[in-house]
Amino acid sequence: MVKIEQENGTLITKVEGRIDGANAREFEDAVKSAIGESSHAVIMDLEDLAYISSAGLRVILLTAKDLWKRDAKFALCSLPDPIREVVEIAGFDKIIQVYVSRAEALASLSG
Amino acid sequence: MSAKRSLHIEAKCNPDEVRRAAEIAEDFAQGEDWPLKVVFQVKLALEEVMMNVVSYAHEDGDNHQIDLDLVSDAEALTIEISDDGQPFDPLTDAPSPDLQASLEDRHVGGLGVHLVRTMMDEVHYRRERGRNLLTLVKLRDG
Repeated sequence: MVKIEQENGTLITKVEGRIDGANAREFEDAVKSAIGESSHAVIMDLEDLAYISSAGLRVILLTAKDLWKRDAKFALCSLPDPIREVVEIAGFDKIIQVYVSRAEALASLSG
Repeated sequence: MSAKRSLHIEAKCNPDEVRRAAEIAEDFAQGEDWPLKVVFQVKLALEEVMMNVVSYAHEDGDNHQIDLDLVSDAEALTIEISDDGQPFDPLTDAPSPDLQASLEDRHVGGLGVHLVRTMMDEVHYRRERGRNLLTLVKLRDG
């Protein structure tokens, strides 16, 4: 569901498959344990995310708020079209940085 | 694809059953040649509505069920979601998210109903014979 990678001091959480009301709690726990108490920049790569409902969006918003409080940078990248649509309807693109590719997100967050 | 087809699905009031029902509905919509974008939206709307029922409608959740009736024809995909829980009209009883709020002030929640309203062409609620009946409509030309 969540794969952890590191690139140049930035933590990348790659989210895969589908996040709905049945596994959103598991998703929340996985993201929390990946980030821990760190205040390094975090990129959530959604390239392989097939589906997300409001239960999963809630976890993304909580993560963004949590990192904001710690002064840590946070961004989403590589959203497939249907996921991008949901993220935009939720208005997240106005409060969370969204990048087309991981390379762009990395360039921006490390700058 | 223009023939009128219908499907009835019953689900118990828990998240795993919601997922199962949403996947059956997804297969049905796909089989009726709805565009993938619509199939995604319908599945999402269904999950949001059913999860609301699971979360709010009952104090003794697992003893109740949610009934789904899907009808697809040349013009529209219509889904009626019915449950015998407490009266709950998501169109008026659910809070709307403040889409203008900053990250700091943005409340977590209220997103499900907002997604349903935005993605469906029509949403109607009525209370009838002790049941909540929510109808979602997606038009072919919507």
